[in-house]
Amino acid sequence: MTDLVPRLSLRGITKSFPGVLANDNVSFEVKPGEIHALLGENGAGKSTLVKMIYGIMQPDAGEIRWNGQAVVVPNPKAARKLGVGMVFQHFSLFEALTVFENIALGLDAKVPQRELEAKIKAVMDQYGLRLDPQRIVADLSVGERQRIEIVRALLLNPTLLIMDEPTSVLTPQEVEQLFVVLRQLASEGCSILYISHKLHEIKALCDTATILRGGKLVDTCDPKVETSRSMAEKMIGGNLKSISKPEGRSFGAEKFTVSRLSMAGVGHFGVALKDVNFAVRAGEIFGIAGVAGNGQNALLLALSGEEIAGGASIIAIGGQGIGGLSAKQRRLKGLASVPEERNGHAAVPDFTLSDNSVLTARDRLGLAVSGLIRPNAAKKYTRDVISAFAVKATGSEAMAGSLSGGNLQKYIMGREILQRPEVLVVSQPTWGVDAGAAAAIHQALVDLAAAGSAIVVISQDLDELLSLCDTLAVINEGRLSKSMPVAGVNIEEVGLLMGGIHGETGAPHAA
Amino acid sequence: MSPEFIVAIVAAIVLVATPILLAGLGELVVEKSGVLNLGVEGMMLIGAVTGFAATATWGNPYLGVIAAAVAGAAASMIFGFLTLTLSANQVATGLALTIFGGGFSALAGKPFLGKTVPAFVQLFPDALALHPIWRVVFGYSPVVYFSLFMCVAIAWFLKRTRAGLILRAVGENDQSAHAIGYSVIGVRYMAVAFGGAMAGIAGSMFSMVMTPIWAEGLTAGRGWIALALVVFASWRPFRLLAGAYVFGAVMTLEVHAKAAGGIFSALPPEMWAALPYLATLLVLVLISLRRSAASSAPACLGRPFIPTA
Amino acid sequence: MQLRLEKRPEPSRVLLYGAPVLAVLLTMVVGAILFSLLGYDGVGSVLEIFTRPLTNPLKWQDLGVKAAPLIIIGVGLSIAYRANVWNIGAEGQYVAGALGGTAVVLLTMNMEGPWILPVMIVGGILGGMALAAIPAFLKTQLNVNEILTTLMLNYAIVQLLYYLLRSPWKDPMAFGFPRTKMFTADQSLPYLWSGTIMTWGVPIALLVAVAAWFLIGRTVFGFQVRTVGSAPNAARHGGFSAKQTVWLALLASGGLAGLAGVLEAAGPFRQLVPAFPTGYGFTAIIVAFLGRLNPLGVVIAGIVLAISYVGGEIAQTTMGLPSAATGIFQGMLLFFLLAGDVFVRYRLRVVSARPAGGTA
Repeated sequence: MTDLVPRLSLRGITKSFPGVLANDNVSFEVKPGEIHALLGENGAGKSTLVKMIYGIMQPDAGEIRWNGQAVVVPNPKAARKLGVGMVFQHFSLFEALTVFENIALGLDAKVPQRELEAKIKAVMDQYGLRLDPQRIVADLSVGERQRIEIVRALLLNPTLLIMDEPTSVLTPQEVEQLFVVLRQLASEGCSILYISHKLHEIKALCDTATILRGGKLVDTCDPKVETSRSMAEKMIGGNLKSISKPEGRSFGAEKFTVSRLSMAGVGHFGVALKDVNFAVRAGEIFGIAGVAGNGQNALLLALSGEEIAGGASIIAIGGQGIGGLSAKQRRLKGLASVPEERNGHAAVPDFTLSDNSVLTARDRLGLAVSGLIRPNAAKKYTRDVISAFAVKATGSEAMAGSLSGGNLQKYIMGREILQRPEVLVVSQPTWGVDAGAAAAIHQALVDLAAAGSAIVVISQDLDELLSLCDTLAVINEGRLSKSMPVAGVNIEEVGLLMGGIHGETGAPHAA
Repeated sequence: MSPEFIVAIVAAIVLVATPILLAGLGELVVEKSGVLNLGVEGMMLIGAVTGFAATATWGNPYLGVIAAAVAGAAASMIFGFLTLTLSANQVATGLALTIFGGGFSALAGKPFLGKTVPAFVQLFPDALALHPIWRVVFGYSPVVYFSLFMCVAIAWFLKRTRAGLILRAVGENDQSAHAIGYSVIGVRYMAVAFGGAMAGIAGSMFSMVMTPIWAEGLTAGRGWIALALVVFASWRPFRLLAGAYVFGAVMTLEVHAKAAGGIFSALPPEMWAALPYLATLLVLVLISLRRSAASSAPACLGRPFIPTA
Repeated sequence: MQLRLEKRPEPSRVLLYGAPVLAVLLTMVVGAILFSLLGYDGVGSVLEIFTRPLTNPLKWQDLGVKAAPLIIIGVGLSIAYRANVWNIGAEGQYVAGALGGTAVVLLTMNMEGPWILPVMIVGGILGGMALAAIPAFLKTQLNVNEILTTLMLNYAIVQLLYYLLRSPWKDPMAFGFPRTKMFTADQSLPYLWSGTIMTWGVPIALLVAVAAWFLIGRTVFGFQVRTVGSAPNAARHGGFSAKQTVWLALLASGGLAGLAGVLEAAGPFRQLVPAFPTGYGFTAIIVAFLGRLNPLGVVIAGIVLAISYVGGEIAQTTMGLPSAATGIFQGMLLFFLLAGDVFVRYRLRVVSARPAGGTA
């Protein structure tokens, strides 16, 4: 295929944002019919790069060539006109509208309804993508929503399809179905730019891989030849620290127990919790795996006390029922929590870090006494957190919103961990965090467990859970599976649990 | 009750309901695009004074209504620039527009105090309106028919046209609409301008049709009632139509309460004057009891749009 | 070419305090232009409105009298708006405060003693709170938007005032005029010094502002209000109840508006008349924003708006400007403030949508 004109060729693409060089002189080519991986950690600059190809952003310098011609892509409409389709990581769907309306919105020209319906049906049949056009998107599963995006992109007969982290929200079985579609597309001559940080997927699917680190291109290689380890090293750049987890630890008595926890969904489209049971021993890290949107949010809220699910005995610390207590009272009993969303949930972006310390540490650490805030105590504690967790910030009076994602997460984790909680519940502790910060956060969790606390980690990153946790359970549609020791866990079984045994699963294939 | 009495009551209801319907339809489109403009009352006042002044100057009520629409749209652009281009708080900016509109209209209208303007010529031939009953159908100002036409047109626009679909999409999920490549700010500017024009026309009803004189603050809070009715109607044009006419009936009660006699005349007049506002309060309570009402609101309503990309 | 907002890493300190000053100056400039366009002497009017109240010492007392209720109501609204509770019913709560105080007056007409005035004040605060409790209940229990409910009650309570003055509370000796009896000496707010028109309302306003400043900045209550307003989910995470905050915000702002109402009734008015509602409750919205929702800033903002009131009255007699002209100033002031607020946190960038090069 080397003699063919590349479908897409990037030359010296550079893009900077205030304080960040997101892409630094990046050049590579995508050939017709090639599945090309764009590999890199969170924050490596992958998303910025494809946004420029799709016309959402403009490069500061460099050239985009399309079928050998230099082009400027001023907006997504122009990109689609060229033949570029994109499936976003965060779907650009409209929940209150129907599948049909969503697809129609993705088209630039007005197509008569009958004709469009026929076209949609043809694409669905051709690629085995099943959808009911008249359903409201809010009622659909994540996998079905992604299918809308794919159908929408395919209707434009793209010659380059960009997939931005398409599998982060899918079960292993759904991933396999997606790969079938992508391979069929490539065999028909469509190029695919596949963005991911999951090495085994790239080895299984892609013909070529371009690796980005810190905005720079590190290498373009053949993933079938490379080992996962060699690609990981290029991606991470030797920054990877393994977690030092003392081997053969013994756990104490059951410290945190949840029994028969059921709760209605929070919000319009919230998932209800159904009869959740688990127990965590002192010193144990308990992982809860699952695909996004299966009740993780409700579980965190129910455990932290932001929602009260029922009677006292449902949740207990050291045998003492706390199920009826508020979030404030639970903190006093030693239960700390870190929700998934940093800005606006775990922290107030418009407040200083020391005010954010007052938010969750005021009662346990006496940062507020008899209704009065003690600003100096809050500042001192905040400085302690900043130094203990190497948070990059201008000081305790920096606005939380001015910190980068990784630094804010380190601050939030530090704020809870330095309170020495008996039980810590965290959701997505390293989501959107760079490798260095992630390693530091993991180490802090291990150290806290070693000091005798019980820890619950809710995460969609199975790799993270497997390396961090002692015990694992899977949440699906608000139900929690039985607990399994991580040492003897069967990945195939976890995948099936994540997809829901009675759920919508295709024939499982080993990847 | 004589036919004349019924005709009078129906005519009064239609007259009271039409400006609320017009302003409400405009606001409905604005809110469907995800913007909450609380400045309806201010834009109505600006429309009222402009319509009156233009008619007094040029002698043609049609030109007056057009001027009112232009003035309302112009006023809404102040709101648009602040909330859309500068992402200022929509609630506070809408309040500012209402305060500004009140002051501006009072000042601009001062030379016109005590004057009258030529009314609309009957739209349909007199023969049709001769029998009192026919007047129920044919006896109104052209603006009334315009409001009914707009109700149908907006319902059709939102449900059946591609532009309407894009408008709804922008109000449902601005980030997604932006990601696909639609101009969120552009769509919202157009919606806000349309809402301003409709509020302007609604305002001109007060100074040109209902009482053909200009007086300070003559809209008396009807713009706020229009806002409440949009919520009541769950953002649906035909429900808004029904709501506006029910409110027209409630407000007309005040005038006709005495004539009806019995228990109605026993209540103090202040009670009747407060009724539209208390009824609005009641309506807000009633719709809150219907669970689906909240979820039918456009998801981005009132949130400023700052593209993440 | 396109305008785009870009978030500043840290809010601009200069603009935080500079924006209100800039807004006042811009309002004066644009106001002068607008007045000229409408056929008035623009520059003269603006100078008359904004400088005459300051240069004429006889008007300084007027400023105090007008500023006191604006400050008291504005402080309450700052608390509510910080909590993201949009109480725009302060005008009604102000009237309700006067009604609450006057109810005490009518019950104590034949009594004497220094205890009467404090009881009236309590009655006024309770009156304002009672009216604010309606939207608080509807918001917390039924999730009814407080903007519309607080606003509708403004119109309704004024009708109640008219009814009471026309019938049950009317002074029978008033020759048919709808008004109450004059308040007795024990029912009236004393003057600061004899021979002035400054009542104790002025120091009370300052006291309220200082107390609220401490409350917002240093207490857990103030922290709760700020957190709920800034990030409701984070507030819930921190253990603060959103419903409780709505109640507190509405009761505080309603109670303070009620306090302003009873002080106004017992001070400058000394009786209740149909002309009692003068729009302080609406102007105080601007006062709250101009003061950056900071109680000490509200004091300055209250004085600025009092200048526009007093100056507007002067211009009314000297230049024939309608009283509504102040509404234009107030609206514009709020426009410029809101625009300025954006630049505290963002900067405006001009971006060209199409860089040099070929076309797609």
